[in-house]
Amino acid sequence: MASDLLSIGRSGAQAARIALDVTAQNIANASTDGYVRRSAKLAEVSSSGGIGTIGDVSLSGVRLDSVVRNADLFRQAEVRRTGADAARADAEVAGLENVQAAVEQSNVYSSMVGFEGSLQQLVGDPTSSSLRANVIESARTMVGTFNIASSALDAVGTGLRFEATDAITQVNTLSGELARVNLRLARAADASSDQTALLDQRDSLLQQLSAFTDISTTINSDSTVELRIGGASGPLMVQGGSAGTLGMTTAGDGTITFTVSGMAAGPVAASLTGGSLAGKAQALTKLAAVHAQLDTLAQSMADTVNAAQAAGITPANASGQPLFGGGPPMTAANMTLALTDGAGIATAPAGAGANSRDASNLNALRTALSSADPVGGMDALLFDISGTVQGRTVTRDALRTIANGAKVSLQAQAGVDLDQEAVNLVRFQQAFQASGKVMQTAKDIFDTLLAIR
Amino acid sequence: MTTISTSTSAFYERSSMDIADLRARAEGLQSDLSRGQRIARSSDDPVGASRLRQLQRADSTSQIDVANAAKASTNLQLTDSALGSFADYITRIQELTTQAANGTMTDAERAGLGAEIGQIRNNMIQLANSRDVEGGALFGGQSAGDAYTVDAAGNVTYVGTGTAGDLPLGDGQNVTRGITGPDFLTLPPGSASPDLLTALKTLSDALQAGGSAAQQAARDGLAALSQGMEQVTTAQTVVGSRLAWVDLTTERRTNLTEMRASEETDVGGTDIASTVARLQETMTVLEASQASFTKLASLSLFSLLN
Repeated sequence: MASDLLSIGRSGAQAARIALDVTAQNIANASTDGYVRRSAKLAEVSSSGGIGTIGDVSLSGVRLDSVVRNADLFRQAEVRRTGADAARADAEVAGLENVQAAVEQSNVYSSMVGFEGSLQQLVGDPTSSSLRANVIESARTMVGTFNIASSALDAVGTGLRFEATDAITQVNTLSGELARVNLRLARAADASSDQTALLDQRDSLLQQLSAFTDISTTINSDSTVELRIGGASGPLMVQGGSAGTLGMTTAGDGTITFTVSGMAAGPVAASLTGGSLAGKAQALTKLAAVHAQLDTLAQSMADTVNAAQAAGITPANASGQPLFGGGPPMTAANMTLALTDGAGIATAPAGAGANSRDASNLNALRTALSSADPVGGMDALLFDISGTVQGRTVTRDALRTIANGAKVSLQAQAGVDLDQEAVNLVRFQQAFQASGKVMQTAKDIFDTLLAIR
Repeated sequence: MTTISTSTSAFYERSSMDIADLRARAEGLQSDLSRGQRIARSSDDPVGASRLRQLQRADSTSQIDVANAAKASTNLQLTDSALGSFADYITRIQELTTQAANGTMTDAERAGLGAEIGQIRNNMIQLANSRDVEGGALFGGQSAGDAYTVDAAGNVTYVGTGTAGDLPLGDGQNVTRGITGPDFLTLPPGSASPDLLTALKTLSDALQAGGSAAQQAARDGLAALSQGMEQVTTAQTVVGSRLAWVDLTTERRTNLTEMRASEETDVGGTDIASTVARLQETMTVLEASQASFTKLASLSLFSLLN
């Protein structure tokens, strides 16, 4: 007889101890981020009879087969994919909200309306020096708000690019870390608790990476991961123990593009469609468009007013000089007030004579302004930005809900359920006690045998 | 093998997401209520925000229109009272000329009447050169200085511009801000003198010169005076109707302002009743989910297993 009751009991007690350890580990890590619930997989130890010993009972107890990591690869991939989408939308909306605040809170629109109003007021009494001073001051305010809006937009762009640079550093750090984890995974023994911890680390790194960029992963048979960024056909970022370097190029208008170098000969362009980096790139593209539009509006306003000024005469019977200066090309940033004396405003048409109260040229200016309509253009610009923000916010909320759902669904499957662990504690404690009882029985049997006289 | 179908962290995650969501919604409603404005940023409602911007632009334009209308109204009233004075002077000159046309008058008496008419004419020239509220010539159109100049011989010349110019009243409506001297002092074609002031000078000179021509001059003068009177009263009617036009546009503007204000409230204001109701609803749900969360979270097998 090859069985040994005492060693069967011992193996049972040992297996129960290991299962209790795993349970305790689960309870301890119930709220650890990225921890996947483990369970001990036990296997029977027995052998079938050999030649001449057919019919022998050969039971040798139980052994730990492996520590199982209850991770669902599909759900993990879903968390990464939806998380990247949500992070992209988050970053884009945050950037666009800043763009909106820059244009809206600079009060360009209301100062343009104020300038328009001051011209309308001047029609009532074209020679009044106080109304003329009012026009100059309104124009000064308007130029100031154009300058402020422009520099606020620049500041938003600088902030976005700074954050993108930081995100790129993080992506490179995480990729390097992932390459190291790959190396250790290739060396770790299968199903050891060392490997499960490495797998946790691998998944956690992948999830962190997915917050910055959309990634596509291939898990090899040795559990190492091959990582591409910017979709399944994107450039290779991590393969085995080597990692590439993500780089960023800033164009003249402030928009950014990405490249991966180090994995292939020369840098490879990466088009990111997910993650906060993609969101920031999209926000910067919109910012460049808004900035260009703001410059166009400033130029339209200045050109219209200056053209009308040139057609008329001042009360001193001199021909009108440009009201606005800057450039060329004139932008919202370099726009200045060229005329600082109200007496220089050309309200009267050429030939009306000195001190004329004829407001024809002023009316021509107002007509030109209302047909070029830079004020309406500014309203349209604000509407464009705010409409974009609103639309993107709806998308972001939807993507966030989806990402949260995926996260909760992964946690429901891979997370620790304390109630279940409580049950496991009781169960394995009982198993331990029962194995103890087996050893007790073995001892009793042995004692019985010894007691035979 | 699972006893409860979800993990502990998933339960906490879900609960905290739900409660945070409810809290954010309640806070949003509360800030709507405290600001009285539904739209904090344009992106809250882009269409509404754009409409509000247009309404505010129309409002600020309208306020300037109010000032312009008040200015036009004052100038027209000044014009009206000056025209009234002109009518009074013409009436007085008519009395004097009627006396002078009387055959029993002596040359000396006529000369006295002529001198008085000359004085009244000077007053009329002064009146024609009076100023409006902005300090410009009331009857000089768009010129900056006097409407009429007088040479050494006493002849007057109009030096103002041909039209008085328009003042915008909003919504594309205009009003002519006044009338020019020639508008009411020019006599109809075919008269002996081109305008009333010239006719009065001729009359005054003829009466002071005396002789047989004086009585005839007085008779001719009466005809010119009644024509002049007609011109002045016509001008008064024109000014009166312009004043009525200003009043009409003011009334229209007031109505439009009220409409804009009510639209601004509709578009951008918080609907107190429905917002309070929604806040109450959110608070009820929030309290319920907090209470149920506490109950569920306190359920643990560990406290039952001994």
